[in-house]
Amino acid sequence: MESAGFYMLGCVGLLLIGTGLPAYAVLIGVATLFAALGVAAGAMPFNLLTALPSRLIGLLENDLLQALPLYVLMGALLNRLPLADILFRAGNAAFARTRAAPLLSAMGLGAMLAPMNGSVGASVATLSRILQPRLRSHGVAAADGLAVVCVASTLGVVVPPSLVLILLGDAMLRAHTEAVNATHVAVRIINTQDVFRGALVPAGIFLLLAFVLAWWIGRREPPTPARERLGWGHRLVALGTAGFILLLLAAVVLGYVYAVEAAAAGAMALLLAGLATRTLTAEIMREVLRDTMAVTGALFALLVAATTFTLVVRGFGTDRLLAEFMAVLPGGPDVAVAVGLLALGLCAFVLDAFEIIFVVIPLLMPPLLMRAPDAVWVAVLALLALQASFLIPPIGYAVMMARSLGGEGVALPPLVRALLPFLGAQVLVLGLTLALPALTHVAAAKLESETPTKPPLSDEEVRKALQSIPLPPLPEEPPK
Amino acid sequence: MMVAWLDRADRAVGAAVAAGRWLALPVSVLLFAQWPLRDLVHAYSTDANDLAQWLFALYVSLALTYATRMRSHLAADVLARRYPASARECLARLGAILCIAPWALFILVVGTSEVWQSLRGLEHFPETLSPGYFLVKVSAWLLALLALAQALIDALRPRRER
Repeated sequence: MESAGFYMLGCVGLLLIGTGLPAYAVLIGVATLFAALGVAAGAMPFNLLTALPSRLIGLLENDLLQALPLYVLMGALLNRLPLADILFRAGNAAFARTRAAPLLSAMGLGAMLAPMNGSVGASVATLSRILQPRLRSHGVAAADGLAVVCVASTLGVVVPPSLVLILLGDAMLRAHTEAVNATHVAVRIINTQDVFRGALVPAGIFLLLAFVLAWWIGRREPPTPARERLGWGHRLVALGTAGFILLLLAAVVLGYVYAVEAAAAGAMALLLAGLATRTLTAEIMREVLRDTMAVTGALFALLVAATTFTLVVRGFGTDRLLAEFMAVLPGGPDVAVAVGLLALGLCAFVLDAFEIIFVVIPLLMPPLLMRAPDAVWVAVLALLALQASFLIPPIGYAVMMARSLGGEGVALPPLVRALLPFLGAQVLVLGLTLALPALTHVAAAKLESETPTKPPLSDEEVRKALQSIPLPPLPEEPPK
Repeated sequence: MMVAWLDRADRAVGAAVAAGRWLALPVSVLLFAQWPLRDLVHAYSTDANDLAQWLFALYVSLALTYATRMRSHLAADVLARRYPASARECLARLGAILCIAPWALFILVVGTSEVWQSLRGLEHFPETLSPGYFLVKVSAWLLALLALAQALIDALRPRRER
C-alpha cells in the first residue's frame, strides 16, 4: 500500500483537469477517500488522522503565514491604486531615447513589483490589466508584449522577498530538517533568509538578461507616437516607490527586518500613500478588502488541503518509498537533482507555485536533500525550474493565464518565437546554477564577511563568564 | 420551508464571513507595529505579535468560506470550462457534499474536545503567556464549521432558474 500516495497524486491530476473543481476540494476529497479506504483495509492507523485538527491549528499559529494576507493586501492595493500605472509611465519617460522604452518599462515594472508579488496568477492579472492595453497603444507587437507580460509576471518567483520565496523557504526548512534527521549529518538547517540570499545572484543574472532581451526585441518596434509626459508629482511618487522597494529588499536580505514585518511595512506604506493622494476612496477600500479576503481564503484553503493530503500520503508510507527510489537512482546527486527538477517542472504545467510548494515540495524534497545535501542550491534550482516551467507555451501556467486575460488574439507560433529568447536565458541561468553551486552562496558569503564579528574570548574571559553564571540552589537534604 | 431555511442560513454565513474582511487592517497594523515596538520602544512587541496571531487565525478561518462564496479558489478548468453549465453545477454540488462536508465534519468531531478544553481554561500563549491562545483553537473549529455549513448550503440549494 506504500504506492497509494502515487495513485492519490494521479487521481488529483485527473480530477483537477476533468472536473474543474477547486484544487483544495479535489485534494481534500481524494485524501478523505483514500484515508477511509486505508483505515478500512488496515493500511493506515486511524489515530494518525486524529492529528489533523492539531495540524490545522499549527497552520493558524504559524508566524510566517501571517505574511500571506499582507502580500495579498499589497497586491490588491497595487491592482486598485494607480501606482503601477504611474511606475510604467515613469519607466517610459526614463527610457524615452530608445524604441524599446515600453518593453523595458514593462519589464522594470515586473521587477519592481516582484518582491511584493503574491502569486504568479495575481501578477499575471495585475500586469495584463495594466500593461497589455498600454503596450498595444504604443504599437508593440502583440506577441512581444504578451511574452514580456508573462516573463515579468514570473519574476516574483525568484526575486526576494516575494511570498513564493518565503513559503518555499519555510517548506525547505522543514524538508531539510527531515533529511538531516534521517541522515544524522551535522549541518545547520537552512532558513528563509538563506534561500533569499541564495536566490539573489541567479535572480540578478536572469533580470539582467531579461532587460537585455527586452531591449533587443523592443528596438525593432515602431517609434513611440508621443513622448510620455510626467508631472513632478508622479516623478516623486515613482522615485519614492522605487527607493522604498529597494530599501525594503535590502533590509530583509541584510536581516534587519523579518519578511512578515517587511510585508506589513509595504502594505502600510501603500495604504498611507493611497490615503495621502486621496486615491484610496471608501469604495476602493471595500473592493481591496474584498479581494484580499477572497484571495487569502483561496490560498489558505490550498494550504489546509495540502496539509490533509500530505498527512494521508505519509500515512501510507509513500514518502519512504520515494526516499528509497531517490536513494537507488544511479548517477550521483546531480542526477537525483535533475530528476527532482524535472518532476517539479512537469507539476508546474498544471499547478500554481503555491500548490507545488504545499503539496509536492514536502514529499519530494526530503529524499532529494538526503542525496544532495546543499539545501540552498537545491532550493534555488527548484525556483528557477518552476519559473521556467510557468513560461513554456502553450500550457505553462503564466502563458495560459496571460492568454486568457486579454491575450486571446495572439497566435501560438509568434508567441513561442517571442518567448524563446527568454526561455533560453532561463535555461542558461538554470544550467549555470546547476554547474556552479557556488553561485547560490556568493551573496551569503559576501554579506557574512561584511558583518562585523566579535573576536573570540580569551581563556580568562571564558573563566569569568562561567563564574558569573548563577548556580542552581542545591537540593535540600532529605529528612533522616 | 427548506428553501427558506437555506436562504436564511446562506445570508447568516455570508454576513458573518463578510464582516471579517476588515480584520486585514488591524492584522497589518499590528504586524507592522511590532518592528518599531521591538527596535525603538523595546516593549510590547510580543504582545502585538500575539494579538495579531489570533486576529490572523480568526481572519483566515472566515476567509476560506468567503473565498468559496466569491468563487475565488484556484482551479485548473481548462477542460471543464467547456462543459454545459448544468454539468458544472452538478459537479460543484458533488464536490461540496463528497469532498468538503465529510472532511469538515471529521475535523469538528475529532477536534471538539481539544478546542473545548482550551476554551474552558482560556488557554494562554505557551511561550509568552499572553491571553487569547484559545481563540486560535476556536478559529480552527470555526473554519471547519463554516466550511461544513457552506458545503451543505451549496449542495442542498435548489437549482437556479434559467
